[in-house]
Amino acid sequence: MGLIRNIRDAVKKEVKDYVLQLVESEKETEKKTEQPVSEKEQKNIEVNVEQPSQEVEETPVVKEEKTEPAKMEKVEEIREKPAKKEICPIANDLEFVRFSYKKNQDVITIPQELSELIKMLPLEEYACYMKLYCFVADQKKNYGYWGGTLKRKIGLDALSTAEFEELGNNLAAYGLMLLEKLTENQKTFVLYVPFDEDNMVKLSTAKQPAKQEKPVKKQPPKPAPKKNEPEPEEETQRAEDIPGKPVEGMENDEMYKSYKTFVSLEIDKAKMRVGRANFDKIYMEAVKYIDKKYGFKVLSDSDKFKEYLTNYYISAFDIPTFENWKKSKG
Amino acid sequence: MLQDIKILMKSLSDIDVRIMLCKSAFEWELLAKKYNALRDEIEAFCASGLPEDVKEALEKTRAYLVEKKGELPPLDLSDFFK
Repeated sequence: MGLIRNIRDAVKKEVKDYVLQLVESEKETEKKTEQPVSEKEQKNIEVNVEQPSQEVEETPVVKEEKTEPAKMEKVEEIREKPAKKEICPIANDLEFVRFSYKKNQDVITIPQELSELIKMLPLEEYACYMKLYCFVADQKKNYGYWGGTLKRKIGLDALSTAEFEELGNNLAAYGLMLLEKLTENQKTFVLYVPFDEDNMVKLSTAKQPAKQEKPVKKQPPKPAPKKNEPEPEEETQRAEDIPGKPVEGMENDEMYKSYKTFVSLEIDKAKMRVGRANFDKIYMEAVKYIDKKYGFKVLSDSDKFKEYLTNYYISAFDIPTFENWKKSKG
Repeated sequence: MLQDIKILMKSLSDIDVRIMLCKSAFEWELLAKKYNALRDEIEAFCASGLPEDVKEALEKTRAYLVEKKGELPPLDLSDFFK
């Protein structure tokens, strides 16, 4: 019993000493941390008491000491960045086919050859490519406008415009995407997706050395056009230029296919320009106009309606007719 | 004859109701087809000439259909440009 009591007392003493030591060491550390603050405060008070000229002298010294290393780091970063941008293409001779999917994609699959290519991409480019890949399957075509709307649609809102541009340029440099500059501020993209005849319909082939599609006519940014009644003579002339209803023998004409793509893009562009609400109004006007001019039978016939609607858009948005477009292409 | 035209007019008012409930281009097309068929049927039935009230009712339904088509989301033309 005596032995146990002695051990218990010894343990108690040990624990007590340890706790005391701990408390003391904590107090010391607190003092150490408080000291510099109080010193700083004292210095500040001294500076305030001193004349303002001294204050002015002191501050630049402090600033120089603090900012210089930061500047140096930034300069180094800037120097480093261009080195990163040296990108070797992972694929050179890919054929960029503008296509549309025949039907909605229930399952988004990645062909083996494509997966072999994209696994070589860096993380950010890989993510961007995959987002675009899912997006093009969703919109049923592998091309469209490159810009802020696309950035938002593919969920890259957090990126700045410059970062997104850089990603696009990098993907183009890797050879998996084509970026074509339409105007100063507008670009289109064609995403490389291996062409599959069963699921896709070929629209046109984009050339690898970025062939710039000239905007035929700079359109003034006008809202919903009010005078949507084209004259009958013009109407009959334009009817010949309805995309999708080619003149005989032109069905396979590459030029006409390009024109169809051009019209499609121009309509998309006009939609973005006038805004959703105005576009809806224009559509409503188109429906009324087609019903009035061509009758309800045309309105209720899906294919015919699409033809006349396209024709209406061509006239309403000042999209060049096929002949004019061809001439401007030279 | 009176009974038959009533049945046809009832079909027309059914279309009116369904136009109000229509929410997609697909539904609209079905209704438009029904309207065209019904109009043909009515015109065939009244070969001697459409009574004024029937004519008015047909025009009214047609106007509803046109208005509805304009209200639906703009037709997607992407298939058309294939």
